[in-house]
Amino acid sequence: MKKVFLFRLFLVVALTLVLGLSLVSAQDDAFWSEAAAPYAGVTIHGVTESTPPSNYVREVLAPQFTELTGINVELETTSWDQMYDKAIKDMEAGTGIYDFVYIEQDIIYGYLAQNFLLDLSQFLRDKPELAAPTFNFDDFTTFIDSFKDPESGDVFGVPMEAFLKIYLYRTDLFNDPDIQAAFEAEYGYPLAPATTHEQYQQIAEFFTKYGDENGMELWGTTVQAASAHPSSFYEFFESVAPTFGVYNWGINMENWKATVENGGEMNSDTAKEALAWWLGLLDYAPPEATSSTWDEVAASFAAGRAAQGLVYGENAAWIATDPERSNVVGNVGVALPPLSEGVLDDAEAGTGYIGYYDGGAFGVPYSSKNQEATALWLQYIGQSSVQADWAVKAARIVQNATFDDPAVVEQDAKVGGYYTLMKDQGYLFAGAPPFPFHPQVREVVAPFIYSAIAGEITAAEALDQAAAAADAELVSLGFGS
Amino acid sequence: MRSNRTGWLLLSPTLIILFVVGFLPFIYVLWVGFHDWNVFSAREGMFWAGINNYRRLVFDNDFLYSLGLTLRFTIVVVASELVVGYLLAQLLTRDFPGKILFRIVHTIPLMIAPLVVGAIWRLLTVPGLGPLPYYFDHWFNIDYNIGRYADQAFITVVLMDLWHWTPFVTLTMLAGLSALPNEPIEAAMVDGANRWQLFRYIKLPMLRPVILTTMFIRIMDALRVVDEVYMLTNGGGPGTSNRFIGIHIFRVVFPKTDYGYGSAMSLLVLYITIVICWMLFTALMHQRSD
Repeated sequence: MKKVFLFRLFLVVALTLVLGLSLVSAQDDAFWSEAAAPYAGVTIHGVTESTPPSNYVREVLAPQFTELTGINVELETTSWDQMYDKAIKDMEAGTGIYDFVYIEQDIIYGYLAQNFLLDLSQFLRDKPELAAPTFNFDDFTTFIDSFKDPESGDVFGVPMEAFLKIYLYRTDLFNDPDIQAAFEAEYGYPLAPATTHEQYQQIAEFFTKYGDENGMELWGTTVQAASAHPSSFYEFFESVAPTFGVYNWGINMENWKATVENGGEMNSDTAKEALAWWLGLLDYAPPEATSSTWDEVAASFAAGRAAQGLVYGENAAWIATDPERSNVVGNVGVALPPLSEGVLDDAEAGTGYIGYYDGGAFGVPYSSKNQEATALWLQYIGQSSVQADWAVKAARIVQNATFDDPAVVEQDAKVGGYYTLMKDQGYLFAGAPPFPFHPQVREVVAPFIYSAIAGEITAAEALDQAAAAADAELVSLGFGS
Repeated sequence: MRSNRTGWLLLSPTLIILFVVGFLPFIYVLWVGFHDWNVFSAREGMFWAGINNYRRLVFDNDFLYSLGLTLRFTIVVVASELVVGYLLAQLLTRDFPGKILFRIVHTIPLMIAPLVVGAIWRLLTVPGLGPLPYYFDHWFNIDYNIGRYADQAFITVVLMDLWHWTPFVTLTMLAGLSALPNEPIEAAMVDGANRWQLFRYIKLPMLRPVILTTMFIRIMDALRVVDEVYMLTNGGGPGTSNRFIGIHIFRVVFPKTDYGYGSAMSLLVLYITIVICWMLFTALMHQRSD
């Protein structure tokens, strides 16, 4: 009798839960259809970089949103340079071609300085009927702070991707007993992911020789050193220089100077040592390294052509799990990058960082002609319910709860603990410095890095000339004197 | 009078379109060129700079380097294409097995968009994937890497341009050769002229208008080359070895958003192009009046 009672009680509770959840879900769906009713049939246009997270938005989330609301979403996924060209021109001219644009964490300060973007917090306060009950700015990780106005705390972009540039290595090679023995015999210490720059270089050297001796298309490391593309500038200044203790591109944040004589660090001895080390890795990199931007580095690693490398985390998932695109499925390990002494302490103390925490958001230009429909769209992609699958497919996480989702936990094991590393040690990494002049200084400094890669000038010459050019450019832009 | 009015009426749509899409933007660029205007400057907006942008250009080593590089590239490719194009045109005036197939295959690159040409050559040359680096290494033990070696990259860019545009020169030369009157050539042959003399004193003078017109078109094209080089070299590399003036202006105007300076640069390059073309045009007109 008691068993029957308990069984009935269980049934009642289960049914209540199912009904309750269905009701909540129905209410949520009702919100979208009701709030979007005035905008049904409207088409909103966006522009973003063609990356795994953006492709997921275009292929999965946009059709879902259209089905739910009747609002059409046309998302243009293009190259990084084209994306910025199109977005900036549109916002500057106020033409209103785009209703939402991708804002990388490093450009937000420039956009805010020019008042390009709509204050989303204020917009939703002014139009509460558009505020989705399933969307909350507080659900996001602290990465959302990158898209806030430092003074008001208002949000100007809904984060859609965030990832680390991490140290990937081939576990099948690093765990091979014969290789381990050979390495230890040569260098006198056990083979393991490098913790110092010297170790990293030696591991690269070892595997390059190993590949050569065994007739394998294998080199020691990837290097993102496209010799005329900004990606090489970024690899050096945002992923390599910080591991030597040179932060913020070596620009003094108080007086906006780059040269050592003016208080900057761009041409300091440490910076020159870092650039020389990085350029030296080209000897142990696949030949495509000097043509490799961010995508090609991931492709080289996925093809099994490098034993280790610094790779953008958004690629970690497909490299580790997609056998149609990757030759190293199941053989990917993740670690912190090699560091100079004291850098980890700086990062833990909050006075430095060990690498690049990249990511971006979608923001609404003031010039958008469909701000209401776009605000609904951005809230839709910012809901917790859509995050887990997006994280599994594109290795990006922007909300705290996503880390604990069962699907993400399962994926974490396949990608060598990347998500756990991001959750536990992500705070050691940092995004780009809050420069309002980001692209201008990059364009002035980058050619010297390109010339150093091409061997036209030395690392020291490159940074001396780059720092002087940066100082001059900053003055001409009105920063510093 | 009536026919004049009808003529202007019929011309007016074209003139209006030309005015809106040609003349107005030109005036706007001219106006912007006299200003300091950078979207991300600490000073918002446009500020009158007078001729400062043009004065800066004269001392801008990067600009002068890119301009010099572009002129060098133009001289090399136009001269090479004229020689190779003429030789191929001569070949096509004769009959040989497979001539029609050769003519079709030879003309195919002309039909391909410059960006696609860049992509094709990139696929051919990219280290680790392309067949050219592979065979250079395996057959000749040459480390062919256009991402790393400036000379190799420049030569590859020249070869790509030759591959793309020589068919155009061949076709114009072939048209010119086909239109040459036979009498002077036959008379010279009767007088005992050899092949070189036929070419130097008979064909070349008669072909001069065709050659100048072809040069005119190719120089304008070569001076504004951007897309295929950008695609092949990932933006003009390695280093700045292929940063032609078009790519340099692109980087100043778009990623660097230095609109004022970039506009001045564009106008100065336009002026140089016009001067070069005017010189050729004058030569052409002079030849015709002769």
